[in-house]
Amino acid sequence: MPDFITVQDAVFEYLRPESTPVRAVDHVDLSVAQGSHVAVLGRNGSGKSTLARLINALELPLEGTVVVAGFDSQAEGSAWEIRQRCGMVFQNPDNQIVGTTVEEDVAFGPENLGVPQPEIRRAVDEALAAVGLSEYAVRPPHLLSGGQKQKLAIAGILAMKPRCILLDEATSMLDPVSRRDFMDMVIDRVRRDGITLVNITHHMEEAVLAEDVVVLSQGRVVAHGTPADVFEAVAEIRAEGLDVPAHMEIAHRLAESLGATLVHGETETPAKAVDAVIRVLAESKADRSERFSSETAASAAAVTIDATHILSAVQKLAFTYLKGTPFSNRALEEVSFQVRRGEILGIVGHSGSGKSTLVQHLNGLLRSAPGVVTVLGLDASRGGDIRAIRQKVGLLFQYPEHQLFEETVRGDIAFGPRRMGLPEEEVEARVLEAAKIVGIAEADLDRSPFELSGGQKRRAAIAGILSMRPEVLILDEPAAGLDPAGRDEILSYVSSLRDHGATLVLVSHSMEDVARLADRVLMLDHGRVAAFGDTRDVFSDEATLERAGLSLPASTAFLKRLALHLPGLDTARFTAAAAATAVLAAAGAAPANGNGGAAC
Amino acid sequence: MLKDISLGRFYPAESPLHRMDPRAKILATLVLMVLVFLANNVWSFVAYGLFSAFCIALSRVPPIHVFKSLKPILFLIVFAFLLNVFSGKGDAIFTIGPVSATWEGLWTGLRMAARLILLITTSSLLTLTTTPILVADAMERMMKPLQKIGFPAHEMAMMMSIALRFVPTLVEETDKIMKAQSSRGADYDTGGILRRARGLVSVLVPLFIGSFRRADELAVAMEARCYRGGEGRTRLRVMKTAGRDYAAFAVVLAFLQGSQPFWDYVFIPLLGAGMGLASRVISLSDGFEAQGGMVEDAVATGSETYCQPAAGKR
Repeated sequence: MPDFITVQDAVFEYLRPESTPVRAVDHVDLSVAQGSHVAVLGRNGSGKSTLARLINALELPLEGTVVVAGFDSQAEGSAWEIRQRCGMVFQNPDNQIVGTTVEEDVAFGPENLGVPQPEIRRAVDEALAAVGLSEYAVRPPHLLSGGQKQKLAIAGILAMKPRCILLDEATSMLDPVSRRDFMDMVIDRVRRDGITLVNITHHMEEAVLAEDVVVLSQGRVVAHGTPADVFEAVAEIRAEGLDVPAHMEIAHRLAESLGATLVHGETETPAKAVDAVIRVLAESKADRSERFSSETAASAAAVTIDATHILSAVQKLAFTYLKGTPFSNRALEEVSFQVRRGEILGIVGHSGSGKSTLVQHLNGLLRSAPGVVTVLGLDASRGGDIRAIRQKVGLLFQYPEHQLFEETVRGDIAFGPRRMGLPEEEVEARVLEAAKIVGIAEADLDRSPFELSGGQKRRAAIAGILSMRPEVLILDEPAAGLDPAGRDEILSYVSSLRDHGATLVLVSHSMEDVARLADRVLMLDHGRVAAFGDTRDVFSDEATLERAGLSLPASTAFLKRLALHLPGLDTARFTAAAAATAVLAAAGAAPANGNGGAAC
Repeated sequence: MLKDISLGRFYPAESPLHRMDPRAKILATLVLMVLVFLANNVWSFVAYGLFSAFCIALSRVPPIHVFKSLKPILFLIVFAFLLNVFSGKGDAIFTIGPVSATWEGLWTGLRMAARLILLITTSSLLTLTTTPILVADAMERMMKPLQKIGFPAHEMAMMMSIALRFVPTLVEETDKIMKAQSSRGADYDTGGILRRARGLVSVLVPLFIGSFRRADELAVAMEARCYRGGEGRTRLRVMKTAGRDYAAFAVVLAFLQGSQPFWDYVFIPLLGAGMGLASRVISLSDGFEAQGGMVEDAVATGSETYCQPAAGKR
């Protein structure tokens, strides 16, 4: 198969004013065969987006060459030829839509190519049918969901009849369900039409779908091979700040703690990994000891929460957007729950299930009858003292860094306390305290927030809420758009806030994140409460999760498979380490059954 | 609140007004708007009102949507009305302090209010039945003759349609930022002017910075989709002025003549006829009935180096 993309020894640098240039791509070699599917993994800032731009001739290499479809990107006029054949989908769904209706946006590319009108019509209709948006053809794009907007972006490319599609973190702003749906559609499409697919991502669950995985770090290729090759080096991938599929990580941890070795490719799929785990357990039967069961007992519930101390109560809350108009939309119905002092309450649900609407009621941004919302004894649903409630209930929106506005980080963190009318010394003390919690150096406080890196900006924005010392802190997708290492970092700050006496409400699409952090979980489905209870109970009920359009946390899903062979296995374990420990405990507790079953 | 702004919001429906050539629609709207200012007796307003009602019914847009566009200027309407009521000359109807309402003032005020209402309903009927990109397209084509003297017609139209495309997005973003800052204690509803202006900074700065980020990303995305200006571009939508467009335009003109004392405003029909002629000229000069010409255009401009400078800029 001939190569469609050949990157040879490419170097690219970004110039910075009054500073040394940043080398984003550092002597990269890469070849992509016609019709193949390659995933490029790497942390934010690893140079993967720059690589995509080099391939699409949006940037030209400083050294080396980039040849796409036989055109050298540096040759006169080839950028136009390359972009015709190689379409690109970007991260932010909103910022790549040009048209004011869906079909007009799809037509944008063919129009630029000068395709005659009747053919544009045909190409647009075909592309919309291919991505399943035909019924939305005349809709304004802002009424689409995030997932639909990205499908629209793909349709815009398909209408240009490309031979290659580049996805530049195209799914990073989507929720897990839309992400899977989007990737399934794209992969089905490219396979059918023989289109080459280059997917730049930091989601390992997408990377495992590729034939070839390339891992970039600081502009260099640090790993290249099949998904099995790349992910089996669990420790290395982890060190790169990336995730490893749960079944691989659990199996490798287990093998490591038993001193066993896994054969190459043995953990490629969850089914294979189950067999591998059973084999390893059987072989090391002799080594097993009782110590594992005592470890599991210790890990449970380190923090005690006073179940009787209700901090906030919501009773029969209902809310309708645009009431009395044809667009009226019932967002919440009969929602009741309580928040206990000192707990982390997770709120999960698919997009549009009412999560954001619900949390906006907790600090009085939205108020509605019917229903009663009380927070710390104050009535947030009607009349109540909204100022007092907002001071006690901090609400951090998605992408909070987009709300920074002061000249210095210090000024931005001080905004809240100043509005509370605190004396200047107190404001200063709170700024320092908040900066310390989120790990912003004092030297950075006098910089402009816009000079900070993405992760730092988010921390500054979180500090801006913490400085108000809220008793309840609501976080809406605090890790959205971050790479796995950035996500883990933010989530560790979040869980440490509990030590500072805060009660937390964590809204997230990620079952894994909520499962790891939350004490209790509220599951919403179409504006109604689908489940409310202890985290392990909620995440054990696969049927209810599925009904609400959600899935089991990845580690639990794998443990459930294993539990068929290991009766008594506790499947409510949400980190690879805890999962491995649980497997050892179950294997130790039921040797005859567990390994007897494994033989067949 | 913010989402209620209906200006520039297209209402999808199947109706004769939706199908009408946007150029004819824009011209008709312009004529009607001129007419509003020339109307000055009760009957002309009644006739205009009936005609507007007829157009609304024809458009299949629920009337509530049309009237919603009045909301933002309701204050202005009431203000203009009251100002006129109390500043007219003649016999007082009643007196409050130093000012008194007069019959003449009442009539002037009513006229003013009616004009504003009719003006807004007419123009919003255009934007409700025409997608913004079609309005932009039509404007581009109507301005095309000006391209000969160096007027950037395509660029203007592209700017306009992108602006229209991003209005709802930015409205949503404003709403989000205001909520986020409210959560941090910002208060946009109380306090003096200075305090409110200060509060506005916390909304405008992030909005501004966000818009720049969007603009950057959009520009790259457009480049990646082979955009390189208006040359050699074809269009999904072809504008064809059909018989019914001339008929519609004729109705507007007939209405214009019928509702006005002809001898008072001889120049209005002349103006209308001139515009009708202009519309005809534009649709012919456009050459969209002859599509072959367009294809040739596209071939002729084939692969240019337009992408090149952008790619090599760094």
